[in-house]
Amino acid sequence: MFHWKKLGQVFRPQEVSGVSWLQEFAQAPCVLHFPDFLRVYFSCRPPADEKGQYVSYSAFVDLDRKDLFKKIRLASQPILTLGELGTFDEFGTYPVSVVRNKDKVMAYYGGWTRCESVPFNVAIGAAVSVDGGQTFTRLGKGPVISYSPDEPFVMSGPKIRRFNDQWVLFYIAGKKWIDHQGRPEPVYRIRMARSTDGLHWEKLNKDLIEVRIEADECQASPDVFFANGKYHMFFCYRHSLNYRGKEGGYRIGYASSSNLIDWKREDEKAGIDVSDEGWDSEMISYPHVFEVDGTVYMFYLGNQVGRFGFGLAKLEGELN
Amino acid sequence: MGSGLPSWRVNSIEVYEGIKKGKIFDPSEHPELAQFVGYAQSPQALVLDDRVRIYFSIRKSDSGGKFLSHVSFVDFDLELRGILGVANSPVIELGKLGTFDEHGIFPFSPLKDGNRIVAYTCGWSRRGSVSVETSTGLAVSHDNGLTFSRVGDGPIMSSSLHEPFLVGDSFVRVFNGVYHMWYIFGIRWSCFENEGPPDRVYKIAHATSTDGIHFTPNGKAIIADKLHEDECQALPSVIYHTGLYHMVFCYREAVGFRKEKSRGYRLGYAYSSDLLTWTRDDDRLGIAMADEGWDSEMMCYPHFFSCSDEWHLLYNGNEFGKHGFGLATLVR
Repeated sequence: MFHWKKLGQVFRPQEVSGVSWLQEFAQAPCVLHFPDFLRVYFSCRPPADEKGQYVSYSAFVDLDRKDLFKKIRLASQPILTLGELGTFDEFGTYPVSVVRNKDKVMAYYGGWTRCESVPFNVAIGAAVSVDGGQTFTRLGKGPVISYSPDEPFVMSGPKIRRFNDQWVLFYIAGKKWIDHQGRPEPVYRIRMARSTDGLHWEKLNKDLIEVRIEADECQASPDVFFANGKYHMFFCYRHSLNYRGKEGGYRIGYASSSNLIDWKREDEKAGIDVSDEGWDSEMISYPHVFEVDGTVYMFYLGNQVGRFGFGLAKLEGELN
Repeated sequence: MGSGLPSWRVNSIEVYEGIKKGKIFDPSEHPELAQFVGYAQSPQALVLDDRVRIYFSIRKSDSGGKFLSHVSFVDFDLELRGILGVANSPVIELGKLGTFDEHGIFPFSPLKDGNRIVAYTCGWSRRGSVSVETSTGLAVSHDNGLTFSRVGDGPIMSSSLHEPFLVGDSFVRVFNGVYHMWYIFGIRWSCFENEGPPDRVYKIAHATSTDGIHFTPNGKAIIADKLHEDECQALPSVIYHTGLYHMVFCYREAVGFRKEKSRGYRLGYAYSSDLLTWTRDDDRLGIAMADEGWDSEMMCYPHFFSCSDEWHLLYNGNEFGKHGFGLATLVR
C-alpha cells in the first residue's frame, strides 16, 4: 500500500472574490510545469441560472514551485471561451488536461451540451495555446473524439499523456443512462485512445478497469503516471445511484499496467481515503499525480466533487 | 452528357379509388399505418428478387406532442405498378435513453452489401439550445430487410472537428471496392429571425471507407451553392450511369422554407466523372415542380435507383412528404 500524507487544501474558490465566472467549484486539477511555478488548471462555475443550470469554465492558478500552498497568480479570464450555438461545448469546458508540444501547449477537454431526455451530453475537444498556456484556441468547432457504436455518449474526463512518441488519451465513455425516479443518471467507464499526432485518434474500444463495487460502477479521472518501470493509474469510482453523500460517493482507486492496455486493479494499494472530518470527509475524487523536484504529489477533490476546491497529498515512499 | 435534357415519365398508378399523377404512395390510405400521424418521408428502395421494398420515415406523436420518426416500408412489384403490402410495425426500434437516435430515425438508407442487407440511419436526439442533433448509425438485417438491429448504441459517424453538428442523411454505394458515403453536416446554427428558434445551415459532403463502418469525414462541402452561402442542401443520392456519376439532392433557403413556396425545397442535380469534383447543373435534371397538386409547393428527399433495366427517381412533395411520395422514371 502506498502512503499519502495529506497536506491540506490548496485552493478554495470561496476565497476568490470579484470574479464572476469563478464562484463555485475548482474541479479536476491538472499541472503544467514551469521553471519557477506550477500552473494548475481547474474547472469552475459562475452561479447557477434561474433554472438551476450551470455552465463551467476552465482556468488556472500558479503556485510557487518551492511552496505549493503559495499562490502567485490567478488566471484573469477563462482559458477558453464556450462554444457557439449548437456546438458540443456550448455549455461547458470541463475538465481540461494539458501537455506540451514543442513550443505550444495542447489542451483536451470535455465539452458539454444540454439535451432534452437526459440533462447533458459530453464530447472531447482539443485546443492549442501559443502563450504558454494562458489562453487557448479550439482546433475546430467540433470535438476530436466523438461518439461511436461502442461509446454512445458522455465522452469526458480526458487525460492526455505522451509516452514513447505516442499520444495516449485516457477518458471515460458512457455505458447507459439509468432512469432513476425520473432523474436520468449516467454510468461511465475508463477508456483509452492512441494517436501519432494528437489529432487523429484510434480508440481501443475496451473498458480498461474492471468494476468492483457494483455492475454499474461509475469510474472517472483516469490519471496515469509512469514510475519505476510501470504505469500507475489513480482514478475515482462511485456507485451509480445515491452517490451525492458519503456512502455511495467517490473514492480513489488504483491500477497498474506494463503495456497501457492490460490493467490490474488493486484499490487496496491506493493509500488515500476520506478523512474523519473536514472538507474531504465524505468523498475524495479526481486524483492527479505529478512530480516536483523529486517528490511525488497528488491533487484531489473533496466533498461535493470539488465544490470547495482541491487539496494536496504527498507520497511517502515509492510508487512501485 | 448527351445533348438535350433527360426526360422523365412521371408515374401514374392506380391507388385504390383513383389515379394519382406521380404519387404512388399515400400513408393515409393504408389502415396498417393508422397508428401513425402521417408522413412518408425520404423513400429509399431496396430491390429484392420479387419486389421493390421502399423504406420511408413515418411519424408518431410522443406524450409531449413532439414527433418521433419511425421507419416503415411498402412493397411494390418489380414494375412499380402495384402495392404488394405495407409493414405492420417499424423495422427498427428507436434508441435507448440518451442515445443519438432516441427521438427518431429519418432518413433510413438501405444497401445490399454483398450478401448482407444493411441500412445507414440518421438518428435524431433533441437538444436544449437548439432543436436537435443528428448522427449516422448503421443497422443490419438478417431477414431480407423486414427488421434491422443496430451495430451498437452509438453512431458510426458523428460530429467531428470540422463537421461540428448535424451529421446525417447518409447514402452509401460501393464503387470499385470502395464504400462511398454522401451525407450532410451542419455548418451553422443561427437565429435568422428575431422571433422563433434557431435554424440551421447544412451542406453535402463525401467520405470513403474500406469496410462500410469506419468513414473518414473531410469537412468540405462538395456541391456549389446555387442560392447563396446559407443554402441548405440535403439528401444526396448517387447513381453511375452512361459513364458518369449523377447526384440528385434537395436544397432550400435557410429561413421561410416551411411556408413560402419560393423558399422551400426543390431538387438539385450535379454530375462527376471522378467522384472528386462535381458540376452542379440543376436544369439538367429535367423534372420540375408541378403547377398544382401534391408536389406543387416543394419537391424534396429524392432517391435514385434502378430496377428492371429502368432508372427511377422517388421523391416527396408538399409539406416535406406529409402526404406520401411519388415516382418518376427516366425515359431518355
